[in-house]
Amino acid sequence: MKTVLSYLAAAVALSAIAFLLGAYQTDVYRKLLLWIALAISYNFLFGISGQIAFSHFSFYGIGAYTIVILITQAGLPLPLAVLATVAVCVALALVVAIPATRLEGFYLALATLAFAQLFIVVLNEGGSITGGTGGLASYRLPEILGVRVAGPWYTVVIVVLMLATLAIVGRLDRSWFGRACRAVRDNPEAAAAMGVNVRRTKIIAYTITSALAGVAGMVYAFVDNTVNPHIFGLENAFLLLFMVIVGGSGRMAGAILGAVLLYVMPFVLSPLIGHHHALVFGIFMVLAVLFQPRGLIGLWDRWQRRRRQPPAPRPQIAKGEAVKREGLA
Amino acid sequence: MTAAAPLLQVRGLCKRFGGLHAVSDLDLDVRAGEVLGVIGPNGAGKTTTFNMIAGAFEPTSGDIVFDGESLAGVPTHGFAPRGIVRTFQHNKSFDSLSVCENVMVGMHTRMPASLWQVLAGTPASHRAEREARRRAEELVDFVGLAEFAQAEVSTLSFGQGRLLEIARGLAARPRLMLFDEPAAGLAPGECARLEEIIRGISRQGIAVLLIEHDVRFLMALADRVAVLNFGRKIADGTPEAVQADPAVIEAYLGNVENLAHA
Amino acid sequence: MSDFLELIVSAAASGCVYGLVALAYLLITRPTGIINFGVGEWATVAAFGAYVALSRVELPYALSIALVAALMLAVGWLTERLTVRPLVVRGAPPLAPVLALLGMLVVVRELVSLGFGPDPQPVPPAFGFGRLELGPLAGSYQSFFIIAVAAVVFASAWYFFERTLAGKSFEAVALDRRAAALMGINLSRVTALSFAAGAVVAGLAGLLVAPNVSAHYLMGMPLAIQGFTALVIGGASRVEGALLGGLILAVAEQFTVRYAPVPPGLAMGVPLVLLIVFLLVRPAGLLRPREARA
Repeated sequence: MKTVLSYLAAAVALSAIAFLLGAYQTDVYRKLLLWIALAISYNFLFGISGQIAFSHFSFYGIGAYTIVILITQAGLPLPLAVLATVAVCVALALVVAIPATRLEGFYLALATLAFAQLFIVVLNEGGSITGGTGGLASYRLPEILGVRVAGPWYTVVIVVLMLATLAIVGRLDRSWFGRACRAVRDNPEAAAAMGVNVRRTKIIAYTITSALAGVAGMVYAFVDNTVNPHIFGLENAFLLLFMVIVGGSGRMAGAILGAVLLYVMPFVLSPLIGHHHALVFGIFMVLAVLFQPRGLIGLWDRWQRRRRQPPAPRPQIAKGEAVKREGLA
Repeated sequence: MTAAAPLLQVRGLCKRFGGLHAVSDLDLDVRAGEVLGVIGPNGAGKTTTFNMIAGAFEPTSGDIVFDGESLAGVPTHGFAPRGIVRTFQHNKSFDSLSVCENVMVGMHTRMPASLWQVLAGTPASHRAEREARRRAEELVDFVGLAEFAQAEVSTLSFGQGRLLEIARGLAARPRLMLFDEPAAGLAPGECARLEEIIRGISRQGIAVLLIEHDVRFLMALADRVAVLNFGRKIADGTPEAVQADPAVIEAYLGNVENLAHA
Repeated sequence: MSDFLELIVSAAASGCVYGLVALAYLLITRPTGIINFGVGEWATVAAFGAYVALSRVELPYALSIALVAALMLAVGWLTERLTVRPLVVRGAPPLAPVLALLGMLVVVRELVSLGFGPDPQPVPPAFGFGRLELGPLAGSYQSFFIIAVAAVVFASAWYFFERTLAGKSFEAVALDRRAAALMGINLSRVTALSFAAGAVVAGLAGLLVAPNVSAHYLMGMPLAIQGFTALVIGGASRVEGALLGGLILAVAEQFTVRYAPVPPGLAMGVPLVLLIVFLLVRPAGLLRPREARA
C-alpha cells in the first residue's frame, strides 16, 4: 500500500510540473522523462542481466514508426493501434531475443550493433512506408471519443509511462527473476546448477526490456510529431550506454541519475561546446570508467555509508584485493 | 540403513572424450540418508563421474536413474528441480549479490510466485519474497555465517565461501546433495565444521555423494566408499573393507600408511 | 567480362582496406583480449591527417604517409597509456577497457568534427586519378596501390608473427598472459606496442580509402563495422583470416550492388546481414586457429 501511495504522489508531483511549463520547457521535460524511462529499462538489460546490447534504441524506433504507420497508413483507430504496436514490439523483441541470447559478450554487442545499423538501412530504403531518409511527419495524435490528448495532458501520459516502466522493472529487479538475471550474469554455470534456465532467463529479460523501449517509442512518436532515421541512430544507443555507466550500472537510481545528468549537461554547457554534446558524453564516459566504475551512485553510496558509521580502522589488505572490489557491477 | 531401493542408481556409466575413456562401465548406488564417498588417484575419473551425475554433461552411454526416473537428456538446469544439487570445488558464487541473496538463488526452483504475479506485485509474491528471505537467513545461520548475512561475497574467506556454497545448495531442498571436493583448501578447523555439517545433512535423510582427495576426511565421514581407478570402480564397501582391499592399496601405489596419509 | 574483371580489382582493393581494419582489431585483441571499436575513428584521424598533409600543406606523398604513420603511432600509444593501462594495472574487469575505448571513440569523432567541420574533405590518391591495365585486369592506380600496400603489410605481419621471436611473444601473450609474464615478457610493452601497431594499420586503411570516400568525421563507424565483419568471417585467430574475410566481404558487397536487383542503399545492409549470419552460424570464422606445433 505504501508503494502505491508513493507512486501516486510521484505521479501527481511530476504531472503538476507539466502544467507549469512553457512550450520549450515542456519539450525538454518530456524528453527527459522518456530518456529516464529508456535508461531504466536499458539498465535492467545491460546492468542487471549483463547483456551488452545496442539494439535498445532501435526498439524505441520500432515502436515509434509502428504506431505512426498504423495510424497514418493502416488507418487504425488509436486504441487498436496502441494494442497492435505493443503486440508488434513484444513479438519483434522475442524474435530478436531468441538468436541474440545465443551470443555472449562482444559477439552480442556486435550483432546488436549490426541490427541497429540494419534498422536504419531498412528505414532509409522503406520507400513510402517509412518515408525513406526524410521519415514521416505531418501526423498528429488522433482523437479518442472526440478528445485529443495534448499539451500538459500528454506530458501526464509520459509521466505515467515513466512510472510504469519504473514499477515494472523495479518489481522484476527485487524478485527471484532479478536475482536469477544477476546470477546468470555473474556465473551462468552455478546458476544452471541452481535450476536457473539460463537461456530462458536471458530471453525474457531481453524481450521485456526491448518491448518496454518500444512502448516508450510509441509514446515518443507524438512528442515531436516526426520520426526519421537520424533520430534512432547509433549516436543515441551509445548515449544510453553512457548514461547507465556514468550513473551507475546495475542500479535503478544510477540509471535515473545518469539519464538526468547526461541529458541536462548539454543545456548547461552549450555556451561552451555548442552542439558538440557528444564530446562531453564521451569524456564523462571515459572519466567514469577510469575513476568511478561504480558510477555516480557509487559516490552517493559511499557518502551514505560514511554518514552512518565512522570509518573503522581498516586491516592491511593487499592492494590487488582492495581494488578488485571496485569493478564494474 | 534400511533396505529401501537406492535413490540414485548409476548403471554402466561411460564417458569418452575422443579416444580417452575417462569413465568405463561404472555402477553406483546412493540411498537416502547415506553418505557415499568416491575416491581414487588423480585421473581416476571421479570428477567426470561427478559432473555426469550433476548434469554438467551427458554420459557417452549408461544410465543415471534418480528416484525411478532416468536423467538421460535432462538439461543442467533440470537437475535442481528434481532434487539433485551440487557444490563447486572452486566456490562459484554470485559476486554482485549479498551472502543472503546468494542463498536465495538456491531457492529459484521453489519460488511459488510466477513472473506474472511478480509483475502485478500481488501480496502472494511479496509473501513468497519474505518467506524466501527468512529461510535464507536460517540456512546462513545453520552453516555458521550469520554475521555475514548481508555482507558482500567478496569479503568472505575461501572456507566461508565453501559454507555459502553449502547453504545455497540446501536452499534448493535437495534429496541428493553432491559435494565436489568440499575439504579442498580448508584449514583443519574448517574441515571439522564441514564434517559436522555434512553429517547433519545426512541425518535429515538427504542422500550425499562426495568426491574427495583427502582420504582421511572421507573415510571418517562416509558410510560407504567407492574407489575408482582409470575410470573403473575397483572397490565398493565400508571404509574399513575398502582400506584393507589389496586392489585399492595397489592403486594408491603403496601400503596402508600411504593410504592413510594420502 | 572486362566489366567483371574490373569489379574484381575494385573489390580486391576494398577487401584489402577491410582486411587492414580487421588486422588492426586483431593486433590489439590477440595479445590483450580488448576489443577496440574505435579503430574506425583511428582511420578517420589518419584520413584527416592525410588531408592536411596532402591537400593543405601539399607535402610529397611518401613524406605524408610517414608523418601520418608517426601520428598514428602516437595516437595509439597515447590511447593505451591514458585509457587502457590504468585499468589493466588496477585489475579491472575485461569489459572496462572496452567501455573506456567506446567513450574515446566518441571523443575522437567529436574532436575531428570540431576541428574540421561536418563537410567531407578531399584526399588526393597516391598516383593521381589514372587507370592502369595489368594484363586482363584493369583498375584505378589507387586500387592497385591499395592492393600493393596491403600485400606488404600482411606479408610483414605474417612474417612477424610466424618467424620472429618478438612475434612469438605476442602470440604467447595471446595464449596465456600469466605464463608469458612469468617467462619475462613485458606485458605492458606488448600492450602498448599492439595499440600503436593497431593504430598505424587502421590509419593506413583510412589513408588508403580516403581518396574514394573523402575524409569525413562520420566515416569511422561503417569502416569499423566492415572491418569487424571481415574479422568474424575470416576468423579472429589468424592474420590471413583478416585478409580473407575482407576480400569475401568486399566481393559479396560489390557483386550484390552490381548484379543483384537490389537498390544501392540496401547494399549497405550486406555487411550487416553477413555479420549477423556469421555470428549466429559460424562465429569462429572460416579459418581455424593454428594447431599447436610440437
